[in-house]
Amino acid sequence: MQAAPPVRERVAFGWLRDTRLGQVWTRLPFWLRTMLLGLVAALVLPAYGDDYWTRVAVGAAGFAILGLGLNIVAGYAGLLDLGYAAFFAIGAYTAAILMVNFHWNFFLTLPVAVTVTGLAGAILGYPTLRLRSDYLAIVTLGFGEMTRVAITNCDYCGGPNGIINIPFPSVPGFTVDDLPATVAQGFFTQQDAFWVISIFLLAIALIFAYHLAHSRIGRGWVALREDEFAAEAVGVPTLRLKLLAYVMGGMWGGLAGAFFATRIYAIDPTSFTFATSVQVLILIVLGGLGSLPGVLIGAVVTVVGPELLRPVADQRILIYAIALILMMLFRPQGIWPAVRRKPKPFYGLEEDEPDKLAARILREHQEQEAREDKKHEGAGHKVAAVGEPILVVEGLSQQFGGVKAVDNVSFEVLRGEIFSIIGPNGAGKTTVFNCLTGVQRPRSGKVVFNGRSIRGLPAHQVAARGLGRTFQGIRLFRQMAVFENVMVGIYGKHRTMTWQALLHTPGERAEEQRTLQEARRWLQFVGMESASGKLATELSYADQRRVEIARALASHPRLVLLDEPAAGMNPTEKQELVTVITRIRDLGVTVVLIDHDMSLVMRVSDRIMVLDLGRVIALGKPAQIRENPRVIEGYLGRDDDEEDAIGAAGA
Amino acid sequence: MGPFLQYTINGLTVGSFYALVALGYTIVYGIIRLINFAQGDLTVVGMFLGWSLLTQFGIRLLPLPVALFLAFLIPMLGTAVTNVVILQLAYKPLLKRSLLAILITALGASLVLQNVVRLIFGPQIQAYPDIVPLNGFGIGPAHVSYLQVVLFAASILLMLALYLFTQGTPVGTAMRALAVDHDAARLMGINVDRVIQIAFVVGGLLAAASGVMLGIYYIQIQFNNGFLLGLRAFTAAVLGGIGNIPGAMAGGMIIGLLESYTAGYISSKWQDVVVFGVLILVLVIRPMGLFGERVAERM
Repeated sequence: MQAAPPVRERVAFGWLRDTRLGQVWTRLPFWLRTMLLGLVAALVLPAYGDDYWTRVAVGAAGFAILGLGLNIVAGYAGLLDLGYAAFFAIGAYTAAILMVNFHWNFFLTLPVAVTVTGLAGAILGYPTLRLRSDYLAIVTLGFGEMTRVAITNCDYCGGPNGIINIPFPSVPGFTVDDLPATVAQGFFTQQDAFWVISIFLLAIALIFAYHLAHSRIGRGWVALREDEFAAEAVGVPTLRLKLLAYVMGGMWGGLAGAFFATRIYAIDPTSFTFATSVQVLILIVLGGLGSLPGVLIGAVVTVVGPELLRPVADQRILIYAIALILMMLFRPQGIWPAVRRKPKPFYGLEEDEPDKLAARILREHQEQEAREDKKHEGAGHKVAAVGEPILVVEGLSQQFGGVKAVDNVSFEVLRGEIFSIIGPNGAGKTTVFNCLTGVQRPRSGKVVFNGRSIRGLPAHQVAARGLGRTFQGIRLFRQMAVFENVMVGIYGKHRTMTWQALLHTPGERAEEQRTLQEARRWLQFVGMESASGKLATELSYADQRRVEIARALASHPRLVLLDEPAAGMNPTEKQELVTVITRIRDLGVTVVLIDHDMSLVMRVSDRIMVLDLGRVIALGKPAQIRENPRVIEGYLGRDDDEEDAIGAAGA
Repeated sequence: MGPFLQYTINGLTVGSFYALVALGYTIVYGIIRLINFAQGDLTVVGMFLGWSLLTQFGIRLLPLPVALFLAFLIPMLGTAVTNVVILQLAYKPLLKRSLLAILITALGASLVLQNVVRLIFGPQIQAYPDIVPLNGFGIGPAHVSYLQVVLFAASILLMLALYLFTQGTPVGTAMRALAVDHDAARLMGINVDRVIQIAFVVGGLLAAASGVMLGIYYIQIQFNNGFLLGLRAFTAAVLGGIGNIPGAMAGGMIIGLLESYTAGYISSKWQDVVVFGVLILVLVIRPMGLFGERVAERM
């Protein structure tokens, strides 16, 4: 393989990073950097001393918090939410009611508001998890309208008039009320105090959002955004992650809402309309979907822009709308798009010597297997020894309408062998794979893997049981770097909790490091380490296949299903593939292979099963299959035209 | 029983307007998977074009049928052209890009239309002249105005025409082909750009037709009517299964009836909550809408 050209990482202010101060700076943890920058911001604006612009800046900070929340839902997880203002409203009303009716301190209302909106997120999320994106858009829009109407009609919430006399924030011995309202009366004003508080809240929101984005959770979200089906199949619990995205998004909205309530002094339902939801959505798209700096820039642009247009007050929405369309036409990726690639992702990790690598992977794999086997046996399940059946399929049938795609198929795959499934197009090979991996629920039949039935389990649980797979049409996560693609494959092995990811605890960091190291090993294993920082879409067809194999192997499965791995490969690449497949077998991983390339199948397989029209027509060693009259007639062709048949099948 | 019949009649009338606007959403969505947020505002554009023809250009001096014909025809042509202009300027360059970018553009287009209407016709409420007599007849205790009958019949005819158009004509067949697979349709020799344009023309025609009807029925119109109208109509399209023409019709009727019953038996304040509550319930049970078909994903 040819060495990849170095990818230039696009870093803003790269020259600053190379100065000495810059080097110290980049070594600080993210939270410290954010807090320091926040401190500077908190000091600078009051010193500038223009109350009007401070007020605008406080508004922008509030919107930035909202944007960070919606960015989790729409930017990372790819769930289009058109009713995000509902969370803003729920947060604001929760805080306002607690402050006005129960005389709570503002800072004490924050955790309550955040919890309530998180719950609201779960309530919205739960019934909508299985909806497709456009349907989701209308349901979220409906949720937003329902919330607004409910608040307007709720007498306890003040009805259409809302809640007034919401107190300013206070800490014992000090309240914002004590401060002068304008600059003319003193140096540090009420607006300045709000600015300091808003910067503090924004910094917290930003730090948590950053931690989530750079954890396994953020990776899982992006994977499910890119290809929900593939994410589920490689072990990402997509439904649970979607729900988590709604909860997290709701929490950020609650934070922004509570702050809005105390800042604005009086709230009413008109602040939480569809227009608000749209403004937040526009904010994150303008800035660059899924990009944290983008959210900050987007907040500044969408809040300050209309202020600058104030002189033409009547037409400002028109001008704003036209600017928005132009922006989408000429820079649809946003002002500061998210970049998910790195030239040297493994920088600073321990190196593996290539010759020791295989031994090392083998040792680790065996250790893991032994550990799991012990646990498995302890739980009372039968562990298949080498040469014993690890996968038992009995009477498997699947039907689409009137077509019997798979008809009463039974076979056993022995632990440690390479088992191939061949047959003409439409024979039901991929359907068998889909029934095994939980993508489809078979109409009838038994599927027992490693002593336990896996029939009807969701795909991510099948993956967690040790059944990895690749796809007929390549399904890598296109906007993720190669190394991240492989890291997603390890998702099911993670043991850290969400709170650890939020806080970026040492335990979580260590696990991320291990995951990265593991991803690198598997990339080395398939010979793709040099391309690890590229985007998946930048690779050739054959290289993408190999990354897919690395992703399937990364969770140390017992058995991998490879669906037409040789399709579209040239002879050299096929040769390399044979090497990879035999190396997988040498690890002790059982391989089930579908392919049309007969010479490849004959060469690597221990046993072959031939399907035709959904039925097994032959099963045996390669030599037996070659001689089997039914196979020759149905698939291979007679001796004299064998070459043609293979050529046609491979095409 | 008395009020029930009356609510049903009112609901069906309103529902038929929603259905017409919903068809505009559905026909565009079916082809390019875009929620055309501008559809509601386009309806308002048609509404105001009709209003200005009837009040400011003196076509009322013509015999009533001719006047009505012109009051529908000219706005329909106007909105059809507007819709195609929006398509060419704003959506076309983005068709191959992310769906979200087009969606945001559509929101932008909606705002632009709304504010252009405001700029030209003013922010105040305007009133349609009462050109059609309001009297009617009774069915038992319920009252049906001739206007309701005419409008209801007209929208049913339009829907029927559209249905036959998509099912029976070559262009309609091409539209349905595009709804399934753009590339395959292109390979079969379908002029994809042209078909998309036709879809937008149809969407525009429907917008003004429903707009003028709404104006005649409700009398009072304002530049920002488009949002709520669009929201209801889009809900109708989704309820029926978006992209599906009979579904949009049924969805519109259901929403109209739900609104009417809620207003009659509970309170008009809770209309939206009931409508969206039913929508969410339906989608939870049938994620593809009432008439939508489940699309199997090919691995």
